[in-house]
Amino acid sequence: MATYLEFIQQNEERDGVRFSWNVWPSSRLEATRMVVPLACLLTPLKERPDLPPVQYEPVLCSRPTCKAVLNPLCQVDYRAKLWACNFCFQRNQVCELFLKNVEFVFTRRGAQSPLIFLYVVDTCLEEDDLQALKESLQMSLSLLPPDALVGLITFGRMVQVHELSCEGISKSYVFRGTKDLTAKQIQDMLGLTKPAMPMQQARPAQPQEHPFASSRFLQPVHKIDMNLTDLLGELQRDPWPVTQGKRPLRSTGVALSIAVGLLEGTFPNTGARIMLFTGGPPTQGPGMVVGDELKIPIRSWHDIEKDNARFMKKATKHYEMLANRTAANGHCIDIYACALDQTGLLEMKCCANLTGGYMVMGDSFNTSLFKQTFQRIFTKDFNGDFRMAFGATLDVKTSRELKIAGAIGPCVSLNVKGPCVSENELGVGGTSQWKICGLDPTSTLGIYFEVVNQHNTPIPQGGRGAIQFVTHYQHSSTQRRIRVTTIARNWADVQSQLRHIEAAFDQEAAAVLMARLGVFRAESEEGPDVLRWLDRQLIRLCQKFGQYNKEDPTSFRLSDSFSLYPQFMFHLRRSPFLQVFNNSPDESSYYRHHFARQDLTQSLIMIQPILYSYSFHGPPEPVLLDSSSILADRILLMDTFFQIVIYLGETIAQWRKAGYQDMPEYENFKHLLQAPLDDAQEILQARFPMPRYINTEHGGSQARFLLSKVNPSQTHNNLYAWGQVRNLQVFGEDAKLTE
Amino acid sequence: MTRCPAGQAEVEMAELYVKPGNKERGWNDPPQFSYGLQTQAGGPRRSLLTKRVAAPQDGSPRVPASETSPGPPPMGPPPPSSKAPRSPPVGSGPASGVEPTSFPVESEAVMEDVLRPLEQALEDCRGHTRKQVCDDISRRLALLQEQWAGGKLSIPVKKRMALLVQELSSHRWDAADDIHRSLMVDHVTEVSQWMVGVKRLIAEKRSLFSEEAANEEKSAATAEKNHTIPGFQQAP
Repeated sequence: MATYLEFIQQNEERDGVRFSWNVWPSSRLEATRMVVPLACLLTPLKERPDLPPVQYEPVLCSRPTCKAVLNPLCQVDYRAKLWACNFCFQRNQVCELFLKNVEFVFTRRGAQSPLIFLYVVDTCLEEDDLQALKESLQMSLSLLPPDALVGLITFGRMVQVHELSCEGISKSYVFRGTKDLTAKQIQDMLGLTKPAMPMQQARPAQPQEHPFASSRFLQPVHKIDMNLTDLLGELQRDPWPVTQGKRPLRSTGVALSIAVGLLEGTFPNTGARIMLFTGGPPTQGPGMVVGDELKIPIRSWHDIEKDNARFMKKATKHYEMLANRTAANGHCIDIYACALDQTGLLEMKCCANLTGGYMVMGDSFNTSLFKQTFQRIFTKDFNGDFRMAFGATLDVKTSRELKIAGAIGPCVSLNVKGPCVSENELGVGGTSQWKICGLDPTSTLGIYFEVVNQHNTPIPQGGRGAIQFVTHYQHSSTQRRIRVTTIARNWADVQSQLRHIEAAFDQEAAAVLMARLGVFRAESEEGPDVLRWLDRQLIRLCQKFGQYNKEDPTSFRLSDSFSLYPQFMFHLRRSPFLQVFNNSPDESSYYRHHFARQDLTQSLIMIQPILYSYSFHGPPEPVLLDSSSILADRILLMDTFFQIVIYLGETIAQWRKAGYQDMPEYENFKHLLQAPLDDAQEILQARFPMPRYINTEHGGSQARFLLSKVNPSQTHNNLYAWGQVRNLQVFGEDAKLTE
Repeated sequence: MTRCPAGQAEVEMAELYVKPGNKERGWNDPPQFSYGLQTQAGGPRRSLLTKRVAAPQDGSPRVPASETSPGPPPMGPPPPSSKAPRSPPVGSGPASGVEPTSFPVESEAVMEDVLRPLEQALEDCRGHTRKQVCDDISRRLALLQEQWAGGKLSIPVKKRMALLVQELSSHRWDAADDIHRSLMVDHVTEVSQWMVGVKRLIAEKRSLFSEEAANEEKSAATAEKNHTIPGFQQAP
């Protein structure tokens, strides 16, 4: 399996695609018996430093119902300058030939539309929180590209849309936070329907020399930065007094509605981010999530199960409506929620999930977690361009034997029907095209397929199936680009070639794809049902691919290409994505949001955290995520994606307390203590969002983060079997991996 | 945890440090990296820690070798350095460093050396830039002077401003811009009120410079044209 692992990894490096099966079962019946569906994880904008974009338009198949892009799988007759489309077999003519998976730069005639950033800022924050947020926003003006447009809406009890001008007099339009308005009403009230006549005293209309001239509410950074810095600096806390026992009145629903309407009316169909910064739940108007009485807490999972969440349905509907409109306009919504209590992420999550916007959850704006995560949005790639991209459409074509069942990820359906679309839906189905309004080089979609060949239709020997992914998008430099990736895999007859198919199983991709399906189901089904489904799938897979003697459980074996899969499923069942116990609804929404869009490596870390052990016995090594890995003379580093935990074993902790690291003759102990810190730093420096950092030791209260994740193979139930009274690490009644 | 990775001798990126997070406001708040360290991390991610171990298929939990003896664990000292394995068990990341001494100890940056070039740059821009913008920049430079003179600015800020002014005077616009960004990221509380003025000044000076360069080229081209038009003879 070493060769297949290399093959899989090389392909991922090159194409940004990982398939659950790399040799495909040739009939529908056999494919369903494989249990894990034929599916792939696609990272449309995977960073390819070796692949500079090509300055030509892609060559398309001339059949109107096909229009596939010329790719390396096509048969080409160089002399006759003809190529045969590998999807529909049409013969086409061509002059220029591009036979690599490439990125095309499609230079649009006319002006390029600038990027747009609309800040929607909650002013019902504590003083130092507001100050920290203001400073972060001022700082961001230095990170934005100079020709980007920027705007500001602030809200609390009222919603204020700030008119940005260089004249030094700040004006704003104030809206009540209780009443929702239609897009047209908002545009009328802001004077956007008649561009030359603002509602306030008329000023001579500025000549619009540029087709993408800014509006009064969205101005280029290079012109407005000084004034906006001052405006931000002068922002005050919401002036409406909050009495004892009450929450501040926060009109998040209306504020977002106005933001969406403003962009809809001024800059539809161009890359824009609405960035919502909120420090508490919406308590007023449409989209309110909880009332203003503190004695009535915000809904918990228990409340939701008991159907005791008064505002949830209505609020979710409000934000879903906004999210769908935003996605239709090609814009995205980010949510930066920093508060100690919940802020309504459960109801608002569709805003980020449907549009591809970010969701960041923190305790306060005055924390390094928020500040640095926010800075990382503006990181640049190796070319000095922002990594964020906008307005992507993904179009998938398959060869005849396959159909598309659906996609799971930060996207919306474009409802494009066609011969490639299957009637059986998995995820967002019924289409071969999706829209991803906000994305970056790690954004990953799970795409699910269906094999449609009938059982006795033979596949020609050596025949291959093909899939083409075409992603149109707006690059952060405002150029429009098209990325084309075409892949092929061999068909195989399951009866005669099961071993080949087995060997080409990608257990990591399969685990993530099944997990995405599970989490997708969990949004609409009961938790225990999803777990039962997952367990059933695992059992069926083991029955099909395991080698065992009936009646003898200890004889069960899985080949190497399946050996990690049961572990992944075990940890998935206990993960916060499927287990909502001990998490608030907001926290569950936050974890699921990130899970549904990360690439394979990060997704796996979320499913089954990485555990590395540092000791004097040798170099750092990965160890089983099991209580037996917790030893007195070892330091453990655990990465769950959301947390980095460093745990010192009992003896190490005692040595550290005794101060051996400060003695020159024990310098190697100092190195040992430093080693996991250095590795943790590597992770902390790069990851988005920034994880929490826990440095703890044996007996420490924070050790619970480690203890709750490890497989409890040694609990009080089986301790006495080995007479190890002392190694009582994990108290739990949880099912063990081996059971 | 302060670090100074070997090889980073760039004067501009002098500040590569890590501060602890805000433990009071955020539980388990991660450490804060300086701008220099964050931009450094922009290269291809190494994803070092990604390996896993398969669970034993026979179902028996592994009994760790070092824990089979009953009784209290031995609490002797750790193995001393001389008996350590050949290479110390360092992490797969970069080696930890010593206290940062990336700068020779020098005298503090002098305010005048920073303010004067900035004011001069502003004067140069007066013809080219709108009055209101110039006034705004001037107001912020005054604020900078007031804060500097009042001892409100920390040493790293003063140090980096001196560097910024050097880059600006040498027409290295991108470098100056980068320093302004690093100051906004690392020291926003101190600099936010006036830094945007410096940022604008860099932008205005840059555009003025390229305009002047373009004009010079144009006039040089026309001068050449006059020389080479046939039929025109220099008067002896």
